Parts: sequence; structure tokens; C-alpha cells
Amino acid sequence: MIDISRYDSTFENKWCPGCGNFGILQAMKHALSSLTIPPEKVLIVSGIGQAGKTPHFIRCNMFHGLHGRALPVATGAKVANHDLTVLVSSGDGDCYGEGGNHFIHAIRRNPNITLLVHNNQVYGLTKGQASPTSSIGMITKLQPHGVHQTPFNPILVALSLGATFVARGFSGKIQQLSQLIQQGIQHRGFSIIDICQPCVSFNSINTYPWYQKRIYELDEATHNRSDLKHAMELATEWEERIPLGIIYQSQRPAFEDTIDALKTLPLVKQETQVDQLRTIMNNEHKRN
Amino acid sequence: MGIDISIQIGGEAGQGIQTVGQLLSLVCQKAGLYVFAINDYESRVRGGESFLQLRIADRPIDAPYHRLHLLIALDRKAYDLHKSELDDGGLVMIDTEIGVEGDSVFTLPINALAKQAGGLITANTVAASACIGLLGGPLTLLNEVLEDLFGKKEKSVMDKNLMAASLGFKAVQLAKFQWAFSWQEKEPKGIMLDGAQSIALGALASDCRFAAFYPMSPATAIMSYLVSYGQKGLPVVVEQVEDEIAAVNMAIGASFAGVRSMTATSGGGFCLMTEGLGLAAISETPLVIVNAQRPGPATGMATRTAQADLLFAIYASQDEFPRFIFAPGTINEAYDTMQKAFLLSEKYQVPSIVLVDHFFNTSLYIADKPFQVPDRIERFYVTDQEISNPASYLRFQVTPDGISPRALPCNGDALVLVTGNEHSEDGHNSEAIDVRIAMADKRMKKIAAMTKEMKPPESYYGDAEMLLLGWGSSKGAIREAVDILRKYGMDAGCLHFVDIWPFPAQIVADMLKKKKRIVMVEGNMTAQLGRIIKEQTGIAYTHTLLKYDGRPFYPQKIVDQFMQ
Repeated sequence: MIDISRYDSTFENKWCPGCGNFGILQAMKHALSSLTIPPEKVLIVSGIGQAGKTPHFIRCNMFHGLHGRALPVATGAKVANHDLTVLVSSGDGDCYGEGGNHFIHAIRRNPNITLLVHNNQVYGLTKGQASPTSSIGMITKLQPHGVHQTPFNPILVALSLGATFVARGFSGKIQQLSQLIQQGIQHRGFSIIDICQPCVSFNSINTYPWYQKRIYELDEATHNRSDLKHAMELATEWEERIPLGIIYQSQRPAFEDTIDALKTLPLVKQETQVDQLRTIMNNEHKRN
Repeated sequence: MGIDISIQIGGEAGQGIQTVGQLLSLVCQKAGLYVFAINDYESRVRGGESFLQLRIADRPIDAPYHRLHLLIALDRKAYDLHKSELDDGGLVMIDTEIGVEGDSVFTLPINALAKQAGGLITANTVAASACIGLLGGPLTLLNEVLEDLFGKKEKSVMDKNLMAASLGFKAVQLAKFQWAFSWQEKEPKGIMLDGAQSIALGALASDCRFAAFYPMSPATAIMSYLVSYGQKGLPVVVEQVEDEIAAVNMAIGASFAGVRSMTATSGGGFCLMTEGLGLAAISETPLVIVNAQRPGPATGMATRTAQADLLFAIYASQDEFPRFIFAPGTINEAYDTMQKAFLLSEKYQVPSIVLVDHFFNTSLYIADKPFQVPDRIERFYVTDQEISNPASYLRFQVTPDGISPRALPCNGDALVLVTGNEHSEDGHNSEAIDVRIAMADKRMKKIAAMTKEMKPPESYYGDAEMLLLGWGSSKGAIREAVDILRKYGMDAGCLHFVDIWPFPAQIVADMLKKKKRIVMVEGNMTAQLGRIIKEQTGIAYTHTLLKYDGRPFYPQKIVDQFMQ
């Protein structure tokens, strides 16, 4: 284990007291320290929202980019240097709304990165509008008659697209969340962890007690992670019971594993192929 | 007057226009002639009327000719559409089966000869060979080209094509074509390639290692060349992504992690990339974007050409930030410009935008200078050894020239913190007044040195009292128009801009002062470069020759329009 304080950032944290993000932050640090990945080998990419600010609060490399666009940035960085452990810190608006298309295609692409979605079912940064995962009927200042869209089900969508690692955590269960993050990082491929998280300022429905009443941990001894059909059933559980743990896991080549140019050294560490370039330019001469 | 012949092959897409064009141009290139070809097609895979227009000359040419000397009509429609473009004495070569007659019509049993040679599939070889025959060219050169193309296939393919070539050649032995010339054995003048290919090769010569794209005409060809060259043992990854937003962000991510990266698109895709452009700017991440222009707005005309995104490229932004903009005019300029775009983007940690267009990307050129590869690629990042205290590395350190030493993540102990929010020197978000001003100033401060990197516009008879001004792919047409005007006795010259932004205002002002007439020749409606020149130098253009019909510039048409 690496001393967890090595991941401490001195940057002032302005999350609301009681915010679920603190638990997620703690779990991230714990997971990195447990896996002994030093700060300089870690890159956290984020988009916009309170979750997007997370990498400012962990000492490591950071790319805090545009709203919804963390996954493409993370994929590009991973392709350029696959020695980096790449985590993406996103939220329900950032990942399932603005960045929905990238979520879909990252699953198809299966890059070896770990996505943490702080899913609090509301927009926190912009002060309380409905998010893609808000419950039907949730009343906000901007949705005074209640949300009328069906909530986005990230677990079910991920499973339907062939995701290779789909898990759900809870910001109030830091130990378990750290375990999930560790397993996600160790999974070779795209690991998705949807993290249920109360928003103490703007979501008065999905509160700590609301979650405490519903969450349960999947029994690792009996839960068959490779059973897609069962995983899909678990994905539909929400109103009565919410399963936590690795819902589904399978293996197929990670994006980087499918690219010949990445079989050896990371792209950024490879030598410039001056001779080969000259051959190409010369062959252009010959061919014509 | 030396050799200058214009041959058009017209027909339905999929009928073999490209094959005939390829055979003819390869033969001419082998014979040491200059060739230049434009491709004209609709946005469809099959059907629709397309043509390839090949110009053959004994001097460098980078523009199409406005009349036809020989029209190879592969169908009746090509004949009907283009016969009026024939020059006096010009010929139409058409299959006897189509049943067209007339003074300028030369019928040939193309399909029948192809069947005789072994199959209709060789009809294109018959047509190409007949054309070489009409031009007085040697059959041996065509046979060599066929050997290059089909030599590795099974022998019967080669035999059928050789037979087809022989039959086509014999069939025109008695025909007279007034532009026939005596062919001499010369070395090829250079490699033959299309514009998109030169952009891809230029990127590779810059050690570009990552490219992300979403398909969009006319930019896609750049990526397909990168893919095919990438399979030849180069450390290059090209990824087709879900949209242009992903493309620009993925390229930024790869660049952040240390590899040179690019994306290519057209105007509509560039619109989607605009927020990403701002991200590259504020995160000071190097990035090269190629915008292969086509007419708009929105979808506009997918397979037509335009030069109307210049102002958009200059001003596309949230807030204000520096960038480079280049618009190469020839195949060699494109190869060199890509290297400059990558180098300067990394040196100054700003985005570089390269503007080409449909005309440039799809036209066939001879590169008369060889494509050089530098011994060493100069890189602009620092390692722990060059940072006094890696533990307290500041990615956005304020420096006199605005350029902060750039470390790479996972390349030592220095941690690299980057954000698209306004930030302090350490890369953390900050909205403090002094920080904001310092960072905005730091970014903008680079412009002084960036401007010094800008090459002045290339002058051709720049001392003339009247100057035609253009940028990008119209270079060849404008220069040739100047030649014609000078033949008419006019004191005309031109300036051609490749390095456009930051605008080299002082140099341009000096070149333009005391000019009687400044004529903007641009592929847009509002003289966009002219407006920039006025804004930057205070010098107003006097005339415009603007074109926004989606078609390329023709030298003689520039002259004719000017005379009016």
C-alpha cells in the first residue's frame, strides 16, 4: 500500500458539507493506494459538474476538460500512453446527458479505462435541474410539473451494448466502493461504475435514508457475474431494491489490445521511424 | 506554345472514369510530362454524371483548362453535357454502339474491341490506349503501366489488358488529332498524388502518431491515406470515432499525453469541433485540425469546392485565443505546411488549422520537389531533469514569452494538471482577477513571436501595378491568369498567401502600398482575405473576382471575368 496521504491535494474543496462526493473521493484514494499506483502514473480525466472537479482534490495527473467529453480525452490519452492508469470522473448529466454518445461508443470501443459516474440524479453545479436519471415526477424549479421523461438506465444500456465490466456502488459504502474501483482498474477493458450518491442540496427524494432502505450487496459467493440475463434483471431493480457490486463482467480484447502499433511500447515512447518514413516517401516515387 | 492538352473522361460514376484517367496520367507522368487532373462528381456512389479532366503539359501546371481538346464520352449523356466545351478542332471519342455522329465525333468500337480482347472489363484499357494513340504516344509506355498495375495478378488479366491496349492503339492509327505531339523519353518530373495524400504524408513526416476522425467529404481521404500508410510499420493510430466532438477531444487527449495528434473534417464538422478548439487553446495542448472546405452552409454541397471558411477558422472561438492558420496552394506546399503546422502548434502550444478544400484534396498533381523527411523531429517538452523542482512543477508558469515549459504526464515525477476552466499556474481552477488577467495575457503574449514565424505571401511579378491576391488552392489558376494578362500586355502580378494567421500585417502592408489595383480572387462571396487585409493593414482592395458556384478556378475564366 502507498501512504494514502500521498494522494492528498492542497486545493480547497468547495463541495457542500455532506456531499456524497467526499465518500467517492475517499474510495478513489483508497483504491489507488491499495493497488500501489503512484500519483505520477495516474491520470484522472473529468468533464463538467461537481464530479468534474474531483481530480482537483486528488494529487495525480489531471485533465479537467469539457462538459460531456471526458471519455474521448481519456481514450486518446490512454492510446498515447498505455502505462497511465486512466480514471474518468463524471456525473449523470456529464456522462449520460451531454456525453451520452461517447458513453455508448466507449462501451463499444472497450478502452482499458475506469469510468466513475457520480449519479445523484440531479444537476448540482447548475443548482438543481433534472438530470437524465431523475425520477419521473421529480419537481424542480425548471420542471415545475415534474420530470416526464423516463429515467436513463445506465446499467441496462451498458449491458445491452456489450460492456465488459458493469458495477454499481454507493457513496456511503466507501470500503465496498474502493473494492469496486480496484476491480475496475484491474479489469482489462472499459469498467463502468455507476455510483449512487445523495445530493444534500438539490435532491430531496434520493436521500441517504432513501438509499439505506433499498441498497443491498450482491453475494459474491452466489452471484454469477457472467450471467448477462440475470444482470439485466438486476439492472431493472430500483424502486424497491438496489443491488450493489459487480453486476456483470466478461472478457473481450481491450481497445489498445486490438491495435498493432501498441503491442510493444506505449505510443509516446516509441522511436520516430525516420527510415521507414523515407521508404514510404520513396515508394511513392516508385509506385508512380 | 508547348504541349498543353485537356482531355476529359465523362460518364456515369462506376463506369471506369477513374481507371481511364489513371492509365492516361500514369503514362504521361512516365513520359516526363506534367499532369494535373480534377475530379467532378455528385454525392453518390453509382450513376450520376461524373468526369475527370486531365491536363497534360510540358511545364508545371496546378489548374484545370477551361476548354477540351479531347472528350472521351463513356455514355451519351457525357457527350450531350460536354460537347459544347470542345475547343475548335477538338474531338469526341465515343463508342460506335452509342450511335453519335458529327464532324468532331470520332467513333470507335470500344466495347467490341474489349470483348475481342477477352472481356468488357478491358474497355477502359481500350479507351486509354486509343487516346494515347491519338496523342502520338508510344504503346510501350502504356504496356509498362499495365505491368505495374496488373503484373502481380494472374497472367490472364495481364494478357487481356495487353491485348486490349494493342487493339485500341491500332484502331486509331489512321486518325488525325491536331494536338498530337512527338513524345520524348524523359524522366518523370516527380511523384503523382492527390492533395489529400500530400496532407497525410506531411502529417506522417511530422511524426503525427494519432488521428481521430468522423467521415466527411472531402476530408475522409486524408484519414484513409493515414490508415494505409500506418499499416507499413509506423507508430500511428487512426481511429474513426462517433462524431467530430469525440474526434477533436480524443486528439487533444493523445496530444496531452505526448504524441502529435490531428483530426480532419470539413466545415460542418469543424463547427462541432469549435468547443474543442477552445479546449486546446486554454489547456495549451498542441493540436492540428485540417478543414477541407466545401460549400455550405450546413450540408451545402458535399462534393463541391469552396474557400469560404477562412473567417470562421480565424474567429471560431469562445472568447479570444491565439492560433495558426495555413492554406497551402500546391502539393509541395501542403507537405511542407503540415510539418510547419505540427511544429509550431507544439512550439507555441496553440492549435494549428490547415485549410484545404475539395478541389485540392481530390485533384491529381505532380510534386516537382521530392518529399524530404527530416533526420530528427524537433520536440518541445521538458523532462524532470530540465525542471528545477519536479514536485512543484507548474504547467502554466507565467514566462516572458507566454510559453510555459510543458511536461508530459507519466514521464517522471512532475504531475501535469490541465483544465479547460481558467486556472492558476499550477493548473487548478481559479477565477481570481489577477490570475485571470495573467493567464489571458500569457496566452495572447505568444502572438508576437508567432507572427514572426509567418512566411510572407509568395510574390509573382509583385512589382506590377496591379496585383491579384489569393490564398490556398487557387494558386496555380491565379498565377496562370497573371501569365495570360501579361501576354495581353497588362502589368499584372499576384500574391499568394499560405501563412495567414497570425496575419503578417507589416510585411503585407509593404507589399501592397502604392498599388493601383488590388484584386481579390477568392472562392467565397465576400472577399474574406480582402476583409482581413483591410482590417489588419488599413489597405482596401479595389476589385474582386469571387466565385461561389462550387467549382474550381480556371485561369482563362479569371482573365475573362477581369476583362469585363
